[in-house]
Amino acid sequence: MKNYLLRCKINGEKFEGLIDPNMRLIDFLREEVGLKGTKEGCGEGECGACMVLLDGKAVNSCLVMAFSVSGKEIITIEGIDKPKYGKKLKKSFKKNAAVQCGFCTPGFIITAAAFLEEKPNATEEEIKEALSGNICRCTGYDMIIKAVDEAKK
Amino acid sequence: MIIKAEKFYSLSDLWKNIKKLPQKRKYICGGTDIAVSLKYGSLDIDCLIDISDVKELSLIKKEKNNIFIGAGVKISEFENSEIIKKYVPSLYESLKYYASPTIRNIATLGGNLANASPCADGVLALLASRAKVILNLYGKKRVLEIKDVFVGPKKTSIKKDELIEGFLVPIWSHKSVFLKSIPRKIFGISKAGLCVCADIKNRAVMDISVAASSVGPVVLRCSKTETFLKGKEINDKTVEDSYKIIKTEVSPINDHRSVAEYRKEIIGVFLKRALLTLK
Repeated sequence: MKNYLLRCKINGEKFEGLIDPNMRLIDFLREEVGLKGTKEGCGEGECGACMVLLDGKAVNSCLVMAFSVSGKEIITIEGIDKPKYGKKLKKSFKKNAAVQCGFCTPGFIITAAAFLEEKPNATEEEIKEALSGNICRCTGYDMIIKAVDEAKK
Repeated sequence: MIIKAEKFYSLSDLWKNIKKLPQKRKYICGGTDIAVSLKYGSLDIDCLIDISDVKELSLIKKEKNNIFIGAGVKISEFENSEIIKKYVPSLYESLKYYASPTIRNIATLGGNLANASPCADGVLALLASRAKVILNLYGKKRVLEIKDVFVGPKKTSIKKDELIEGFLVPIWSHKSVFLKSIPRKIFGISKAGLCVCADIKNRAVMDISVAASSVGPVVLRCSKTETFLKGKEINDKTVEDSYKIIKTEVSPINDHRSVAEYRKEIIGVFLKRALLTLK
């Protein structure tokens, strides 16, 4: 039953509406708002495909209840041009062929966008650690790590 | 099935309104465990109360003899806290192995204890640091030892509507080592974990606490090992003897993550490594 009045900001736009309190943030974004770029992989926090920015921090949207984001700002992959490193990351992922099937890509880019803003001079080791909650089953990680490393320049 | 959800920002608002909420209510303080349980339908509740932004639960502060850590502080906030780095080294040392960086942006110590998992990393660090738990029910507080709150796998002694307000970590001179056996390099649920906090001067053990996870029904303090090591000098013999003692204190099981034999052995090996690092 939709009985929770949620007010939040999604990709710069205000949202106000009644939502089902059973919904996780990922269900809300995909089903209610129609932002299908955020993917559900494992649904248990292991794979990182569902990553979004919550008040600037990368979080797994399958582990957050939708009503919990009251008053907060969410950025999904559709709004990735807004964060400082968003556009650079998109370009760099393309250039370095860091995308194969593409299912994990939104998650990787979101995690990297938050991380580079926090640590713009990150070392390769730090990049690897920052991406440790994201899994890719196609490309291997070399191109992804290179793409993030290049985006910081 | 959740029929009602409510989010509070202060304890006074919470206590004023909580009794009006549906009976099968549960707090959520982060949600990294609850969201998964709800997905699989394994939680029999009808109301969620979000306390992750309650202001009284979001503080880290230094008091006269203790460090207060609010139950709702996000794990990632410890990374930049000078107080945690200086006074609660076990927690600081745990961060590298604590879930993933993004889960650390959601998860909290309050949630970690309430979930009462024998593999809880946060509880392991807190237990080794000798933290106590502050519980609050309708404004009335009580302070308990972790072992009196975390009483079995997924079982706590917390009463209905009682919430974990925070933790009191005593200020004592010590360093810490946190070790964890996991399937991936830095992210995963532990097969076995060990945390040692110790004050060691010129190889002499002035004071020590040892805690272990995933090797028993709860995260536990290894008191026999502690008693043996207190006052001793760290040398080959004491390290070897303590390795044997700690293996008698743990009672691991075989499950889908690991086997009892390995878990027992690695706890002993971890203790050796910790002592040789801290000496």
